[in-house]
Amino acid sequence: MAMLEIRNLHVSVGGEEILKGIDLAVDVGEVHAIMGPNGSGKSTLAKVLAGHDGYEVTQGEVLYEGEDLLELEPEERARKGVFLGFQYPVEIPGVANTYFLKAAVNAIRKHRGEGEIDAMEFLKHIREKMKLVKMDDALLKRPVNEGFSGGEKKRNEVFQMAVLEPKFAILDETDSGLDIDALRTVAEGVNVMRTPERGFLLITHYQRLLNYIQPDRVHVLLDGRVVKSGDKTLAEELEKSGYALFEDNAA
Amino acid sequence: MEAAKEQKSVYLREFEAMPATGETWLDDLRRRAMADFERQGFPHRRIEAWKNANLASLAQQHFPPAAPGADIDGYLRKLTESVPDALRMVFVDGHFSARHSDLTDLPEGLRMVSLAEAFEAGDVTTDAHFGRHADTGEHPFAALSTAFARDGALIELAPGTIVERPVVLHYFTSEGGAGMASYPRLLVHAGTGSEVRLVEHHAGVADEPYLTCPVSEIVVDDNAGVRLQHLQESGNGAWHLGVVHVELGRDARFGMHAFSGGARFGRTDVYVNLNGSGAQASLNGLYMVSSGQFADYHTWVRHRTDHGSSEQYFKGVLDGKAESVFDGLIHVAKGAQQTDSQQQNRNLLLSPRATAHSNPRLEIYADDVKCGHGSTVGELDADALFYLRSRGLGEREARRLLIFAFANETLDSMTAPELRDHVEARLANWLDDDRAGGSG
Repeated sequence: MAMLEIRNLHVSVGGEEILKGIDLAVDVGEVHAIMGPNGSGKSTLAKVLAGHDGYEVTQGEVLYEGEDLLELEPEERARKGVFLGFQYPVEIPGVANTYFLKAAVNAIRKHRGEGEIDAMEFLKHIREKMKLVKMDDALLKRPVNEGFSGGEKKRNEVFQMAVLEPKFAILDETDSGLDIDALRTVAEGVNVMRTPERGFLLITHYQRLLNYIQPDRVHVLLDGRVVKSGDKTLAEELEKSGYALFEDNAA
Repeated sequence: MEAAKEQKSVYLREFEAMPATGETWLDDLRRRAMADFERQGFPHRRIEAWKNANLASLAQQHFPPAAPGADIDGYLRKLTESVPDALRMVFVDGHFSARHSDLTDLPEGLRMVSLAEAFEAGDVTTDAHFGRHADTGEHPFAALSTAFARDGALIELAPGTIVERPVVLHYFTSEGGAGMASYPRLLVHAGTGSEVRLVEHHAGVADEPYLTCPVSEIVVDDNAGVRLQHLQESGNGAWHLGVVHVELGRDARFGMHAFSGGARFGRTDVYVNLNGSGAQASLNGLYMVSSGQFADYHTWVRHRTDHGSSEQYFKGVLDGKAESVFDGLIHVAKGAQQTDSQQQNRNLLLSPRATAHSNPRLEIYADDVKCGHGSTVGELDADALFYLRSRGLGEREARRLLIFAFANETLDSMTAPELRDHVEARLANWLDDDRAGGSG
């Protein structure tokens, strides 16, 4: 069974249609990559899946583990195991990273009928995950993303993903703007978490990420439609010839 | 205006019925102050500094001076527990209550007496400073206070005196204070090189209207430092119209943190004159305003000479049909070169019916200065809200967290950190009152 199934999804923003009928299915244990140029609708798709209320779904549906995802509030999606790594992580002054993470962990635990996490256990858990993304200890005490460099923000997204251990993670251009060291760290974070129980949707602007994460499927998004899907060789093909090759299909 | 004129005569008649002290300077001072009030009356909206203040129903009701002797034993424990190990003076309905106060083991060089006692004894410090700073000619409530004040605290630090224990002044309005007026005063004279930390705490149990006009005059001599924690937690029905007036000498320092959560109408006007070179002032605060409440901080920070620095940072959180004013002046006189002055005011509106007025005023007559200001009025950041929710936090919890974070930041600069828990708890209770929920 597909873990995430998108059927004929049409999405508008302010009356303008951005997604024009997306069909996509990610099976459990799979990593899919969506590639596309600016304005193709990549980020819209990510935000709609996470439940942002700035988008209007005009047609179609999204099933997550067989359930209607679009009916759920953003927090319900998160508690059921959906994670979005933001393209532009938000700064939250006055809220310490650890406090925020603990609140998130406890919200998810509560949903599962578990009690609040023990302070020592939580500390041990986050220390372990920090090592995975090579994040500086000091960032934990700082307010969420405030004054973080671009790379630190993206690392923080992968760190949050590692701490929250979602079932299905969508990473929206988490690789964009990263130097090679940070990119390797992000990729390693994903690779470590890649298990038969977990699914990934990697949204990327650059083929480079796929040198470090081998996707099971690659989809090309152009003008709000998936114009081609294939295995990882499709990414290599794109790298050589560019999106122009597919533009006829989109028209 | 007819109503206001009528009211003036009530206060004047009352004033004239009070016995003179026989101390010429004091009787003269009070008469002048009363005349100042008579001339000004209750301020109306055409006066720039009062344009957002609706005092109509204050002017319609008459608040006679409250009598001494009310019993507050039941509330005392809560009041005193908030700052342990303090030197403490308690005022009930404006009158000093010796039995509630703790002035044991006063350190050498520190004098703390009630103003009633000081007036009685013909004290020279009160003669030199009482009513000499707060401007009765410009401020009707300073005038009313100076005319009617019969008690308060006198705190005097001999040069070089460092007071380690906090000095706490509780101004408490009892149930019997409903419908009455109190005019509690504070006079602080910090001698050269002395240092003290003060808490000025206003609280009241009365839900019915009452009037309180606290006026604090704080004179900080060269190289001395005074830190003031100001808490306005007056009763729900209170008209709280206060003044804090500070004079700073050379290299003198004044740090104030103000928290305002009480009163139906709570206004504190803060005047800081940086008279000596290198004087420093820092004014910070948080106001939390619910439906039907009005909170107001006006500041006048006047750099009169060179190398002074000042910073002001006030934040407000408003819910329901609440209204607030921050009106802050930075005045840099000609010749006050190398002044560094900053001012920030940020307001968070939790309801579309709330109104926050933010009015920075810069008057700069020197050319070699660094001055900056900023002012914002906004709602909760929708992106931040979505970010938190996308990590599993419920909408209510996410809103609560963001509001708390916004407000809590200002508590880092509290000058009485031992009261932080008290203020945080107040903030948390306020948020529990369903302010974080829904779309309201």
